[in-house]
Amino acid sequence: MMPRGVIIPGFEQVRRNKKFAKIWYFRHIYLFLLPAIVWFLVFAYYPMYGILIAFKDFKYNLGILGSPWAGFKFFEQFLNDSSFYDVLRNTLSISALKLIFGFPAPLILALMLNGVMHERIKKVFQTISYLPHFVSWVVVVTLMQKILSPNVGLVNDIRYQMGLDPIFFMGMPSLFYPLVVISDIWKGVGWGSIIYLAALTNIDPHLYEAAEIDGAGRWSKLFKITLPCLTPTIGILLIFSLSGILNAGFDQIWLMQSPSTLSVSEILDTYVLKTGLQQGQLAYSTAIGLFKSAISLILIVAVNNISRRVSDVSLW
Amino acid sequence: MGARRLTPADRIYMSLNYTVLFVFCVTALYPFIYFLALSFNDGYDAMKGGIYLYPRVFTLENYIKAFNNPLILNSFFISISRTLVVTVFSVLLTALLAYALSRKGLPGRKYIVFFFFFTTLFSGGLIPTFILFRQLQILDTFWVLVLPSLYNFFNAIIMKTFFDGIPEGLSESARIDGASELSVFARIVMPLSMPVLATIALFVGVGVWNDWFTGQFFIQNENLQPAATFLNKMISEASFQSMTSSSGNSGSAIQNMTETQMELRGVTPEALRMTFVIIITTPIICVYPFLQKYFVKGVLVGSLKE
Repeated sequence: MMPRGVIIPGFEQVRRNKKFAKIWYFRHIYLFLLPAIVWFLVFAYYPMYGILIAFKDFKYNLGILGSPWAGFKFFEQFLNDSSFYDVLRNTLSISALKLIFGFPAPLILALMLNGVMHERIKKVFQTISYLPHFVSWVVVVTLMQKILSPNVGLVNDIRYQMGLDPIFFMGMPSLFYPLVVISDIWKGVGWGSIIYLAALTNIDPHLYEAAEIDGAGRWSKLFKITLPCLTPTIGILLIFSLSGILNAGFDQIWLMQSPSTLSVSEILDTYVLKTGLQQGQLAYSTAIGLFKSAISLILIVAVNNISRRVSDVSLW
Repeated sequence: MGARRLTPADRIYMSLNYTVLFVFCVTALYPFIYFLALSFNDGYDAMKGGIYLYPRVFTLENYIKAFNNPLILNSFFISISRTLVVTVFSVLLTALLAYALSRKGLPGRKYIVFFFFFTTLFSGGLIPTFILFRQLQILDTFWVLVLPSLYNFFNAIIMKTFFDGIPEGLSESARIDGASELSVFARIVMPLSMPVLATIALFVGVGVWNDWFTGQFFIQNENLQPAATFLNKMISEASFQSMTSSSGNSGSAIQNMTETQMELRGVTPEALRMTFVIIITTPIICVYPFLQKYFVKGVLVGSLKE
């Protein structure tokens, strides 16, 4: 029951025209957006529609819509699959280990770099620490395989000269997780520290001066000023890491795994690739991928909301 | 920092700090030095071990063999052309997108941003993407190496944040003078944005140069595979050999040479891999330090909350 008397005749019309005039004013900008919209529709949204095949007995000749429905058959198959628990356990273990050991590493590096008083030396340290980020996992794994190789790799070469037997590091299941975590830190720590270094430069130096006058030492300055000032940055990065807990790192794991380490190295992403592209079980593989994406999406929304509520730190 | 005198505790802390950082930098750099030494060393001599810092029996043979092998040469040609094409188009198209998103007052901007942002939260996954490529008939063509890599929304956000910092007055006055949106973009915004364009070009270029996945799973034709994929195939062949040869004896690995490696007879596959790693890494090592000052700022800007 809206009172209508006060509306000037034609007012709605004017408003609509104004809106249209504004859109018309920005017509070129919409044109700028056009290629991006087309690309994202094709390469990002169309595959989302393709997820339907997780619920279908997919046949190429029948197409996505034409294939018969299969219901939740493939999800049940996955949950009953003997590899399900292994794959899930490996994924979560690798992610968790990376989080526990890998997450603090860039922060520690940044704090250490921040303690370097010579600008020049700091620059050199920084530049070198970024290097591993810029080479691909293919190269990193090649480096590892050579350095750890049982036949005259660097490490076994030294072991040989000390009279020790060679070890096939990359083929031992018990060493797989340590190697994954160490190589992941090696590759990412320098790059990860950039964001903390940037945040460190934003801390007001007066805070430190005031603290020094009050007699604060190195450690109390660290715990009372530096870390509290970094909390928002740490929070954002933690949200990212927690929501990516089902991403154990496809490239790295795929390249590092070998038949002898399969029991500890098969993760969701590598399993999707093997069942899908290598064994051609397209629908089954899509179902596993969807299982992963759905949980990841729920996780990122949940973690973000919780964080926003308790600490005001959030991605959106 | 005031001009305080360093206490003994400070000195201990500092020297410990410098030592740990120094050791870390050595571990970051050393593997490349090790490979560099091995790539310039005679392959058969290298099998005796003991090469750590510099070649013992110096030879250029590995590099000569690498650059004379048609498959290796071709994979480099593919990687270089792919990287150039993707980098140029991706930077231009991403800039166009970011500029549009940075225009204040654009009707429906919130919805448009969400349309793009959602793709970073959820994706179709591997198999639907594979089916898409099949339907587009770009599998096993140069297109599959180019088209899917053109956009990345995170890069657009970094650029948008940079564009937001350009004073509105500059482009406003040009518009009053009758400049079209396209000429504002090309003549005013782009020239002012060289730092961020260089940063994104580096990110895109390095990503594409390092990408082995596309070549491995979406390309069958040997003449179309990028260098990173080729390198990966060389390693998996090697690790398969060291799996199968019981004692890990390099001699039998050479006898088991596959077709690709047959053409490389004369140098050991191992030495050739080292050489390949050096060749594939060199362009990156040459480029990134010069762009460092830009991307450090870029990461900072991109990390700020929207």
